[in-house]
Parts: sequence; structure tokens; C-alpha cells
Amino acid sequence: MAITEPIVEMEAISIEFPGVKALQNVNFRLFPGEVHTLMGENGAGKSTLIKALTGVYKIDSGTISVLGAPRAFSGTADAQSAGISTVYQEVNLCDNLSVGENVMLGHEIRGRFGINWKKTNEAAHDALVGLGLGDIDPRRPLSSISLALQQLVAISRAMVSRSRVLILDEPTSSLDANEVEGLFGVIRRLRDQGVAILFVSHFLDQVYAISDRLTVLRNGEYVGEYMTPELSRSDLISKMIGRDFSTLAALGSNRGRAVHATGKPFYSAKNLGRKGFIDPVDIDVHAGEVVGLAGLLGSGRTELGRLIYGADRPDTGEVRISDAITEVHSPIAGLSRKIAFSTENRRDEGIIGDLTVRENLVLAVQARRGWARPLSKREQGDLCEKYLVELNVRPADPERLIKNLSGGNQQKVLLGRWLATRPELIVLDEPTRGIDIGAKAEIQETIAALAGEGMSVVFISSELEEVVSLSERIVVMKDHRKIGEIVNGPDVTAETIVDLIATEGNVA
Amino acid sequence: MSRDSSRASSESIVTRVIHRPYVWAIVALLLLLVINLGKDPAYLGISVNAATGNLSGNVIDILRASAPIMMIAVGMTLVIATRGIDLSVGSVMAVSGAVSMEFMSTAGGGTVGEALSAAALALAISAALGAVNGVLVSVVGLQPFITTLITMLAGRGLAKVITAGQNTSASNESFRWIANGTVFGFPVVFVIAGIVVAIVAVLVRRTALGLMIESIGINPRAARMAGIRPVGILIAVYVVGGVLAGIAGIFSTASVMTVEVAKTGMAAEMDAILAVVIGGTSLAGGKFSLTGSVIGALLIATLDKTIVFLSIPSSATPAFKAAVIVIICLLQSQRIRALFARRRSGPSSLTPPPRSPAQPRKESVSA
Amino acid sequence: MSKSTKFRSIAGLALAGAVAISLAACAGGSESTDAGAVAGGELVTVGFVAVGPEGGWRTANEQNIQDSFSKDNGFELKYAPATNGDQNSQITAFTSFIDEGVDVILLSATEATGWESVLERAKEAEIPVVLLDRGIEPNDTELYTSRIAPDNVGISASAAEWANGQFPDGANYVVLEGPPGLSVVNDRNKGWDETIDANFTKLESQSANWSTEEAKSVFETILKANNNNVQLVFAQNDEMGLGVALAVEEAGLTPGTDVKIITIDGTKAALEALAAGRLSFVAEYNPLFGDTAIQIVKDALAGNSVESEIVVPSVTFDSPEAAAEALPTRKF
Repeated sequence: MAITEPIVEMEAISIEFPGVKALQNVNFRLFPGEVHTLMGENGAGKSTLIKALTGVYKIDSGTISVLGAPRAFSGTADAQSAGISTVYQEVNLCDNLSVGENVMLGHEIRGRFGINWKKTNEAAHDALVGLGLGDIDPRRPLSSISLALQQLVAISRAMVSRSRVLILDEPTSSLDANEVEGLFGVIRRLRDQGVAILFVSHFLDQVYAISDRLTVLRNGEYVGEYMTPELSRSDLISKMIGRDFSTLAALGSNRGRAVHATGKPFYSAKNLGRKGFIDPVDIDVHAGEVVGLAGLLGSGRTELGRLIYGADRPDTGEVRISDAITEVHSPIAGLSRKIAFSTENRRDEGIIGDLTVRENLVLAVQARRGWARPLSKREQGDLCEKYLVELNVRPADPERLIKNLSGGNQQKVLLGRWLATRPELIVLDEPTRGIDIGAKAEIQETIAALAGEGMSVVFISSELEEVVSLSERIVVMKDHRKIGEIVNGPDVTAETIVDLIATEGNVA
Repeated sequence: MSRDSSRASSESIVTRVIHRPYVWAIVALLLLLVINLGKDPAYLGISVNAATGNLSGNVIDILRASAPIMMIAVGMTLVIATRGIDLSVGSVMAVSGAVSMEFMSTAGGGTVGEALSAAALALAISAALGAVNGVLVSVVGLQPFITTLITMLAGRGLAKVITAGQNTSASNESFRWIANGTVFGFPVVFVIAGIVVAIVAVLVRRTALGLMIESIGINPRAARMAGIRPVGILIAVYVVGGVLAGIAGIFSTASVMTVEVAKTGMAAEMDAILAVVIGGTSLAGGKFSLTGSVIGALLIATLDKTIVFLSIPSSATPAFKAAVIVIICLLQSQRIRALFARRRSGPSSLTPPPRSPAQPRKESVSA
Repeated sequence: MSKSTKFRSIAGLALAGAVAISLAACAGGSESTDAGAVAGGELVTVGFVAVGPEGGWRTANEQNIQDSFSKDNGFELKYAPATNGDQNSQITAFTSFIDEGVDVILLSATEATGWESVLERAKEAEIPVVLLDRGIEPNDTELYTSRIAPDNVGISASAAEWANGQFPDGANYVVLEGPPGLSVVNDRNKGWDETIDANFTKLESQSANWSTEEAKSVFETILKANNNNVQLVFAQNDEMGLGVALAVEEAGLTPGTDVKIITIDGTKAALEALAAGRLSFVAEYNPLFGDTAIQIVKDALAGNSVESEIVVPSVTFDSPEAAAEALPTRKF
């Protein structure tokens, strides 16, 4: 970080969309050889700023300079030719091409008879080696490698076009811890080669682990630029949300709560399982209890949650609800037995994008009542009013299309959808993933409050700290089976679970 | 974004109208009527026919011709809203016509009771064909295109079996009245069609059926996770589609009291799909507009009549029809509309992208 | 109602007959026979690539062919109607007849063009092909043995002659055609246009796709567009003519008096309408040429030279009386 001239400098940038001031007088500097994180809640203007830089959006005022010269790009491709590459949240590579083809797309090495595939693949291999990914065969189809590796392939592709600036927009949102470590290795390597990296992430730990400098935005406004080591986490958070951060500090209260796991459970399953999906599992949930499901991605935690709700049909096991034997083999069966399930896959299995917030909110209640008994306008209005306020959905406009809300607010509406059914057991699969810190705290608070009111909660999250702080009991999953159950207490930490996963069940 | 508030409000009215997807269908409809007026200033005139005592006029003819298209278009709208398609409507029309003609020609009494029985039988069989579609799509999980292609071929075969391959005629004044009679001057077919559309509209919009159909069409997985049972809804939608096609078949055959097994309802599915598209319902499913489809059906009927009225040669007819429809679809496209809206808001090179549903979904995740 | 029940029984017989024939064809296998074998009592296999259900005329024609090429007459007929008028299904049937090695193929093409390559194949396989009714384009007489059909040009010319006689001072008239591009349509237009007097005014020529329903809808609009000032309609088939009659009645006019309607084909339904005065002139397009076809097939198999164009004689009906007289013996 010896170089003093910024490679990118944005000054007093403003962008206005109809009715919204997306950015107001925002400054941003990016130096070669640094990782600079853009921080802010959802809707703060992070993506807009990136799109302003790459020319996807036209700026209304302000200046953008690259290497000291004012520039205005016409779009991602134009920016790329000036050495500014973007790797988006959802990898935009071609699934049906090979790794090498993806890396070299647009830079294929041409021979006398068109593309020389041998040389192209060699060049792709070199590019991958340059990022420490030498063991990926460039001839493999892209679809055969994991999402994390695809992300790295996307970065390799950016580096093939000799980028000096690399923009990574939430690259870690769908990666697990090991994969994140791999990605960070690559990022550090590039930084050491002098590449300037703009990084966007919601995960505070990751931000502190990788970035050198931070720029904080709030509601489209510039808050400030800080050196990461000099800014404490709580300071950062209060700068992002612009208010005192007492809610997050209140977390962990559940740990001290009396354990309810006595007497007859509200929900009890013996040998609940589905062939090729999850091995038979026993699980009990008492009224007012939060049971955490912990485990790595693909450990079977989501699958178990789905079986409890009936999203997938179990083929073994006996389920008792309030001590009566019952069968839950479809979502509607789950709903009518007062079970709700909030999916981790918000976009594909949660929201109905082209419907309004109101319609999304009342959907499950309506489905349970059947089509012939529609909720009146007034009943719908009451539900909206109650849950939009209670869950602090912003904007609290029931007639807005849900797809135009930020992720955190979509999640709150979905939570409202399930709470509106007045469930006695709610299964929450990653309810806090990919949403901003403020919304996350609000959702965590809501969960604790619901349990306090006597609702049973099954809480699934890949953030072990979150599981530990919210749950009274923790069911640990690995390789599609249950490997243990921990009663939460003061000496239980994320490490306890990690140790369990690491030591137990290494049978296979 | 506008400095002048009065301008802003007038603009918002314009924008609101422009955002009705079927506004261009209405414009085209009026334009066709104007063109016809150009050829004959008395085009819109309605007179009492001295010989028959009925109201007569081009508009009456258009209303009458639009009735069967309206029926299949409304059914098709619901099917398309669920991400499906129903290619079998034309064949179901033929089956419905064949059943009623065959029944009445065999019974031969020409009574009101026979007409009612014939219609009831025809609709029951149409509903059964719709149910076959619905079960194959929802329970068996076949693709709607393939499923209804099969029933399309099988349906016409069935119509031929029912009539032994003959064009079958019958005489029954009550049945004939359905297509040729008038009540208070309005064609009976159009009145019946209006009532049926109103019933369907109430059925889907005054209950939660419409919401569920749209949910299934927009995101079937999420709809199921929210507790909606797609099987029942899909079957219901295809049955409604079948019954409406059956009504259309009765309208068509009652008009000439003959079922022409190889021709009744031929290519009707195309008219229905076009009416739906013109009405602004996306073929990708989801949000639907019954009003739009009704307007689409009126437009197609007007177009058919205009072609004859203007003496456009037979060989040029398909091209003319296609041209009109392409223009309407172009005008409806998001891009063209955005362009139009941008021109209205003044020449600003810094105009941000319009905040329309055309924007990719990803952006809303973290803006 | 006696008409329709009778119709049905004929059709029922036809179906049963077709099933029996095809069953027999299956059982009989595909041993090839030649002309010599006919004399020896073996059956001649005949593949009939047909149009299938289309209207009264077609049904009568195909029934007549199937009845004529009976076992008693020494033939085994394989009937292959097109699926919904689709030419592809006809080509498939044609090809499989070649592969089976039938002795003769009879073809009523749904569409005029696109037959060259399969006809070449039949020629290579030395299977005589006899076209029934519908011709092919381009009309290469080398590719088939003979075409048996009533003369469309002549028939529509006779209709025009009648019109010339009825309206010596000319008239406003409308033509309702079949689907544009069909050879039948072209021929019927040709005969009419060549013969009709110059003092006639053609207001309009529209397609109603052979359909009663469409013809009714089209003609109601034509009447309005011309303020009912139409004296004559030339409908190129009976069904469309009947639709025109309905539209005329609906408009409060009297067919036969206010608007005279000419139709071609001469089906029973049309003759009934003519007898009732709703149509004015019906030109028969004679579908009953099974006997002629048998003669041609026998000649071709025996190696005798055959005329490439054989015209089936047709009659015309110009009065209700003539129609009433013909009705009792009408077969189609």
C-alpha cells in the first residue's frame, strides 16, 4: 500500500431514480493493491455505486476518474476494456461451456484454423494456476464444479482480461467457511500482485478478515471512509444503521432462559426420514422452545426441516403432534396442523415476485382457508397492518410488488406470511442469510419473542454463533443424519458444535 | 421528477393509460372501425331489419362473431396464467358441436327440451375432455403443450366418430336462436357470452382462485410451499377451459345448425392465444387480464370482419391479419413502451432506466 | 330425418367395410401379385392414399372407390385417409405402400405440390399410380399413369353459362372460394372467369375455406358492404353455398329471388336446398367413378396404354324439379 495515487476516484456522485435519490454526493477511492469494502445495509446504495462506476447507470452529477483521467463508461463491457472487471453475486458464466471456455471467453487464442483449443486451454490453465487453482481441469464442464469454484473461475476470467480493478459483489453469500477461505486466498494473492479490489459483503467477520479499507454508505449518502483496523465492529454497525446498536447486544438472552424441554413435546418425530434424502431422525420440539439445527451446507439440516413441514413427503417415521399420531406429507397438511416453514431459497420457493406485498403476506392463510372463502379486503388490510408494522417492513406499502423490496424486507414479509397463519411450530431455514445487519437483528429478536410467547421454533442457520445464541437445544446434523444433540448452556459455543462435527460420525 | 405539478398529474394519467397492457388493442379496434367508416360512413349504423324485425348492422355482426372467440379466449387466459396452454379448444368445439347436432338430429323433435339436453350433453363431454387435460397435466405431470396437442388430435377424431365423419345437420329453432336470435336487440350469443364472462370473472376475482392461479403461474414452487394445492386448481382451470370451448362449439354450430367435423373450430386455438396475448397476458404465465382477453377477442372479430368489408383478397388475408397483430404486440412490448415514455419525459441523456417490471429481479436483492 | 338416418347407416357400413378390408389386408400379408394373377383369381392389392372425412362429396367418393375395389371384383383395397388433411401423413402412407409392394396406388392428394420424389420412387418400383380427383403441380404426366377426375374447368364454365342465360343484362356477383392455392380452386375460378359475360361485375372474391359457418359470416358482411346489392353468388362448393343461403335469409332477403346461388358438387344436402328453392343452380362434380377407376387399373396392370387424363362426366341441376327428380336416387 505504498502507492499514493488512487486508481479509481469517484467524487460527489449523485444518481436519482424516479422518486428515489439513490446516491447523493457519494465519494469513493480505490487504491492499487488494497481490498476496499463497501459497507451499508440493503438499499444503502452499494450496488448502485458499483453500477455507476461501470457505467450501467448514468450519473446525474459528480466525476469519475480512472488513473487520474475523467472517464464515463457506457457499460460493463466498456469498463472491462479499461481494466475494471465485475464478478456479480450470481455468477454469470455459461453453464454449458467448459471451465477453460468460460475463462477465455472473448480471449480465445486463434490459430490458422480458427480457435486453437489446445493453446486456449493451456492459457486457461495458466490463468487458473495464477490464482492457485491449478488442479481444476479447464476441459471440465463448468456445471460439474461447485458454485465456489465457479466464482473463482469468474475471477480467473476477469484476470485474463488483465484487469487492474476487480469488483466482487457479495461473492461469499452462497459459500461455506472453507470455500470462503479459498476465495480469500485468491483475493490476497491478487492484492499482492497490485490489483485493486472492491469487495461487498454482509458478513462482518469476512470484512474484517479481508479488507484494508472501508467506505460506509447509508440511505444513498456517504458516511465516511475508514481504515478497517481502526474501526471497531460496533462503531461500524452504528455507522451503517445510524442508530445505537443495543439490539444486537441483547442477543444471547435465550441462553439464559429456562429450558422447556420437559413434559410432552408439542412435536415429536421418531425415525422421520426419506430414502436417498435423509436418514431416519428422532426430533422433539416443545412449546416455547427454540431447537437449532446445526450442520454444514448439505448436512441434511434443510432436508429435515422440509420433512417436518411436509414440503417433501417422508417415507418413514411416526409423527405426533400434541401427542396425537398424524401424517404430514404436503405443505397444506403441515399448514393445517399449525406448522409453518420459511425456506432458505427465498427467490425460488418463497416470494411470488409479481404479486404485491399484501398478496404475498396473505397467501398461506388464504391457501389454508381454501379458494372458496376469500379473505375480505378488510381482513387482508388488518393482516398487512399488523405484520408490516410488527416486523418493521420498509417501505410499509402493501401494494408494492414484493420483488421491488430489498432481500431483508422480502424475508420479513415471508416471515409475516407464516406468522399470519398463527403456527404453533415454525421451521425457519436460514431466515437471516444475505440480509443486512439491521434486518438480521430484528428477525433474531422476533424469533426470541415468538418463543417467549409459546411458539415452538426450529431454527436452521449456517452461522453457528447465531444458532448457539438463539437455541435452547441444538440438533447437530452431518452427512444426512443426526449425529448428536446438545442442550445449550453457558459453556456451549460454536466450537462445541464444530468439535462434534469434526470428531463424531467420521464413519463414512 | 417533474418540476411542474400540474404537468406531473396529467402525465400520470397518460402513464396509467399507457400501462394498461390492452390499451393498444383498444386503439387498434377504434382504428379499424375508423377505417371501415372511411369506406362506408354508415358503417356503425344499426337499423331494424324490416323483414325479420331484428336489429341489423356491422357492429351487431362483430358482437355475434366475437362471442365464440371470447369464450375460448377467456378459458385460454386462465390456462395460460398457470403457465399452461390449451391447444385442444378447437377440437373441443368440434366435439361439442358434433354431440349437440348428433343428439338433436337423432331425437328429431325440435323441442326446447331437446335443445337444452343437447347443450347440456355437449358441455358435459367438453368438461370431461378438459378434465382429461387437467389430470394429465397436474397428476401425471405431462407438459401442457404435448397433453393438449394429443387431445387436439384425439378430439377431432372423436368428433368424426360421433358423426361417422359426416357433416351433420339438425333442425331445432331454440338451438338456432342461441346463435341467430336477439334479446332487446342484442345478439343472444353476445349476451350469453357476456354473462359467462361475468360468471368466470366473479369466480376467479371474487374468490381466491385468481390469486392462486397467478401464484402458480408466477412461481409454482413457492405457491406449493405456501400451501396451495396445484392439482385441484389446474384441473379446475382446464375443466373451465373445456366448458368454455364447448360453449363456443355450440355457438359456432348453432349459427348454421351444422357441424362440419373437419372445419368447426379449426385453428380456433390460434385465435384464442392471440386474443390472450393481445389482451396483455404474458405467455409465460402469472398475472392475467380477463378484460384484456375480451378486448382481444373483439379485436380479432373486428379484424376478420374488416378484412371482408374492405375486400382484401383471400390470399392476402393471413398476411394482413399477422401484420396488425405484430404491430399490436410490438406496441405492447416493454421496450417500445419505455421508449415512448422516455420521449414523453423529454430529451434527457441522463434519464435513468425505467423502473418497470422489465428490470431484472436480481437488482432488488441488494440495490 | 330419414335423410340423416339413411346417411348414417351408409356410413356405418362404410366403417365396417373399411375395418374388414384392412383386417383382411393384414391377414393377407403382402405377397405380390401381378396382372396375370388377376385372371388366376388372386387378389390385386391396391393402396388408396385418401383425403378422409372432409364433406359429403369426399365421403361419397371414397366410399364409392372402396365399394368398387371389392374382393368380388378381384381387389384388396388398403384405405389410408390423411390425418386432419395433413399432406405429411399422406406421403408417409404412400411410401409405406411402396415398401409393402402393393400392385397399384390410388392417390387423392390433399395438396397439389410436393409429390415429385415419392412419385419417382413409385415409378422406380414399377407401381402404377392413378390420381383420383385432385391433380398435382407441376402436372408431369410422366410421373403417374392416369388422372381420373371430373372436369373442374368445364363444370364451372357450365355454371357461368347458366348465369349468362339468367342475367342477360349482367349482374353483381360474388365468388366464395376454397382455400387459396388449391388446384380445384384455381380450375373452378378459371372456368368461371373465362365463360362469364363481360357485363357481369365481380364485387368480391373471398375464401370461406369450404365451410358453411365461415361462408355465412363472410357473406353477411359482404351483403352489408354492398348494401345488399348482390344478385348472384358463385359458391365453389355446396357447403359454402348453404352458408350463403343462411346469411341471405338472416338479412331478410329471399335466396333464389333476391340472390341466386350457384354451387358445385351436387351433394344430397344441396339438391334438397335446390328443391326447396334456396339454391338456384347446382353443378354436379361427380364423385362416382369407381368403375372407371377399375377399368384404368386393369388396363395399366395389363400393360395397355392408358389416357393420362380421363374426364368423369357430370350433370347439372338448374331447377327445383330437376333436383327433386334426382334426389331419391342420390347416393351422396
